Amino acid sequence: MATAKSRASSFSRNLTSTGAVSYIPGIKHGPNGTTFLSSGIPDLDKILGGGFPLGSLVMIMEDAEAPHHLLLLRTFMSQGLVHEQPLLYASPSRDPRTFLGTLPSPLLSKEEKTLKNEQEQEKGLRIAWQYKKYFGENQPNLENSRDTRREYCSEFDLRKPMERHLFSAKFVECFSTLDSSNLPAFRDSCSRFLEKVPRTDGGVRCAGRIAIHSFCAPQCGYFNNEWDMVSFIGSLKNMVRSSNAVVVVTFPPSLISPSLSKRWQHMADTLLSVRAIPDEAKEMSKLLTGYQDMFGLLHVHKVAQINTQVPVILEASTFSLKLQRRRYLVLERLHQAPVDGSSGTSYNTSTSCSGSSKASPFDF
Amino acid sequence: MAETICRALRDGSLEGEHAPALAIKDTIRTAFGVDVFDHVLCYMASTILAQKSQSRGLVLVALDRSPSLYLNLLKCRGIDVFDSYTWIRVLDCYTDPLGWKERVNALSQKESSETLFKDVSDLDKLFDAVIQLGKEMVGQGKARFCVAIDSASMMLRHASLSSLGSLINKLRSYDQVSSIFWLIHSDLHEIRATSVLEYMSSMVASLEPIFQSSNEQRCNSENLLSIENDTREGKFVVRLKRRNGRVKVMCEEFRVEETGIKFLAVPSESEMVNQQILPKLQFNLQLSEKERNDKENVVLPFEHQGNGQTIQIYDGRRSLTLKQNDSTTSVSVPEEPHTETDQGKGEIHYLRDSDDELPDSDEDPDDDLDI
Amino acid sequence: MEQYLSLLDQAIEEDKTRVSDGAGRVVLIQDCVETSGAFLLHHLMKRALSRESSETVIFVAFAQPFSHYDRILKKLGCNLITLSQNGRFIFFDMLKLDCPDEVGGGRTKSGLVDLFHKIHKATEVIASPETKKSCITIMIDDLSLVEVAAHGSSNYVLDFLHYCQTLTSEVGCTLILLNHEDIYSSSEQLTLNLEVEYLADIVIKAKPLATGLATDVHGQLTVLNKRSSNEHGKLKKRIHNFQFKVKENGVEYFYSGSRT
Repeated sequence: MATAKSRASSFSRNLTSTGAVSYIPGIKHGPNGTTFLSSGIPDLDKILGGGFPLGSLVMIMEDAEAPHHLLLLRTFMSQGLVHEQPLLYASPSRDPRTFLGTLPSPLLSKEEKTLKNEQEQEKGLRIAWQYKKYFGENQPNLENSRDTRREYCSEFDLRKPMERHLFSAKFVECFSTLDSSNLPAFRDSCSRFLEKVPRTDGGVRCAGRIAIHSFCAPQCGYFNNEWDMVSFIGSLKNMVRSSNAVVVVTFPPSLISPSLSKRWQHMADTLLSVRAIPDEAKEMSKLLTGYQDMFGLLHVHKVAQINTQVPVILEASTFSLKLQRRRYLVLERLHQAPVDGSSGTSYNTSTSCSGSSKASPFDF
Repeated sequence: MAETICRALRDGSLEGEHAPALAIKDTIRTAFGVDVFDHVLCYMASTILAQKSQSRGLVLVALDRSPSLYLNLLKCRGIDVFDSYTWIRVLDCYTDPLGWKERVNALSQKESSETLFKDVSDLDKLFDAVIQLGKEMVGQGKARFCVAIDSASMMLRHASLSSLGSLINKLRSYDQVSSIFWLIHSDLHEIRATSVLEYMSSMVASLEPIFQSSNEQRCNSENLLSIENDTREGKFVVRLKRRNGRVKVMCEEFRVEETGIKFLAVPSESEMVNQQILPKLQFNLQLSEKERNDKENVVLPFEHQGNGQTIQIYDGRRSLTLKQNDSTTSVSVPEEPHTETDQGKGEIHYLRDSDDELPDSDEDPDDDLDI
Repeated sequence: MEQYLSLLDQAIEEDKTRVSDGAGRVVLIQDCVETSGAFLLHHLMKRALSRESSETVIFVAFAQPFSHYDRILKKLGCNLITLSQNGRFIFFDMLKLDCPDEVGGGRTKSGLVDLFHKIHKATEVIASPETKKSCITIMIDDLSLVEVAAHGSSNYVLDFLHYCQTLTSEVGCTLILLNHEDIYSSSEQLTLNLEVEYLADIVIKAKPLATGLATDVHGQLTVLNKRSSNEHGKLKKRIHNFQFKVKENGVEYFYSGSRT
């Protein structure tokens, strides 16, 4: 809690001091000289203290049974396209470009919603205390970015596909990892891509995104070559560290040896994992509030620790993935369902009583 | 017992026999193999200096620790290293085992007991170097020397198991080698490597934790920092392959102290060990001819009584009345155990538990038995 | 602040009896995904570079670039740029090193051999009689990444480490290594970690709290000091256990339950 607060304050100070830079869309200054990119999910940005830092490697551990990682990947890519940031997408399919057709479209009526949000706040809707701090942090940012017409972080309508002109633009590159039994070619195209967004002393002008989908899928030609895969990720991390880009890699940990998986987890600056939740589990619905709306869980294992030695300790590391109005992705902290009948049981302490009764206190 | 193996190394080999070889093995949980190695090394050094051992010199193949450290160690343990050149040679495989260094601080090479060796992966060359050092030291004649290898694990990293096996075999069968010992960290290698090296040796000293954990292999690294590891103690188990084909298994405890490792005798655990070695046995129900004869010649107790006197068989009643003058019968019921009896006769002492106990009644206990 | 020895410093305190033979020590830091042990590197780096001592640090970076360490050490009170101008801090950026084992091929001077030459030369310059700065600390910030750079040839890495270790006895420098323990927990991958454990004189292990994450306590440390003895030559306790909290300007070490 304390760290999060100090984070927030230093963040806003930086924002005001380097006001000129903040006009570049989709970029936000963070503590310790870092710069953030949005993940495309407002809640995730808040959890991570602002987003993904430029120059960082984000690893997402897939669930073997559920495609939740695709949601994270899609919003990450869409957010980049909205800001017209160069994008490199690699996937183990014959034609990776088709995936672009499934990207969600940004919600345009953001301002309306913000207003509505504020009204709701004014109406005195009770907001869970642990979320309150986010409002203070977020509000100036939204106002600030209203000038540019493009917010740092958009919201995406998962049911509406993105307009074609956005992803057919020439700053989108695609790469199929299916046939490339040689990772060097892939590495070369990554490094060519990253050369376009070099890190210079004169501030950030343009930021790039690399999204690699199911890096170690068994259909990839290099699947059996564990050391090649490890050193690829290692060199990718080092390349991106000296550029203004963020790499998001998803991988199924169950398909590779535990030690390889651990190596990647160590290499990752930010480490997330997604998990399916069991369908119609009576026990779980009793234990968790809002079980009906959840479709998966997101676990934050590691938050990027660039230029600092202090680890980010989150109050909660597991969040539920929910769709609001069947369109918008939201993340919520897990809460224990109120124990019916006997109130005041010893284990039902402050964590649950504040937010549990109102499953979704505010509306993004 | 640690004494035993040291003595075996000191006494060296007989003519035409392989030199005795000691394998010291440890794991990360009781990583005190180094201390045992030092102990053996110092023992050998002191016996060589005192001219009590068969070997006249010692060739130390140093891979794991620097040669100067060894000389310091000997000095610390009170061994005179003043003219070490005459009785110890160190083959320095530590400083530059693979020839990576362009130039090594060229110390004074003359009259130094250290020789640099730059290609550890070639064990044939290493063998030649060891033999050459030994010969330089003790001369060409019959004099022998002892070889110490401070890390067979390190050798296995650079060379194949078979080449290490043949190196040890060549050393053991070389005429001028009186004994050889080496240290191996057994958990760094597959089981096969350890067993090969145990096979090549005549003595195996293994260091084990006092408390054996059940699933050790997996826990090895996890247990490294557990509380029990805070001790500097362990079990020292020696398997000695004797000339007569027997295996002597001995067990001691050790404690590492400032001045080196100390061995403490423990209450014998030989029974437990034996149970492991012995196969499942059956009783022998057959008799050989001789055994049968012997059996028939056995004089049973009721037969050897009397020695010519009338045979009296105790019937329970008379004992009370005859107690005083009954000293000739060997089957008696003495109240006090010091009753005089004939020498060489068996006797049965019987102490009445208390006076309440009645003498045997003449009632037949099986009276009421209805057959 | 320098007078006060933290729990960590006490636990890894110099062995009074072994100093005499001039051999440096090998310190191994082990961590896991949940709890990074990098702060220990920073702590030891700061200790070596603090004003009183005249130590030189040779830092071999495989995990993080110079800018990262520069920022962190600045907050701890060391200016790496000034120090490197004074020759007290030497940074080898090995992030892009890629050197498959060259055994078999002709002895091409590349990869880890080359790296060792650089380190060796640096120590020779520092330890040369003219400058006479005796204390050198060599730090390698991620051993598992050295293994990656060598494409999984752990023998090649171990050879490299052995050569670094020879420097501890030749020049008397301290070797500090960071490795990730959990990578080597599966049975077929044990060797590198075990070998380094044999090599090390001191093992520092960083672990998360068994009870989960807390904002006040970031994890716990276990220090195994294999050969520690006090000034009278008596052997001391081998194992120390305590907890820590990482802050920007330092690390707090405390015994479990002793925080007020």
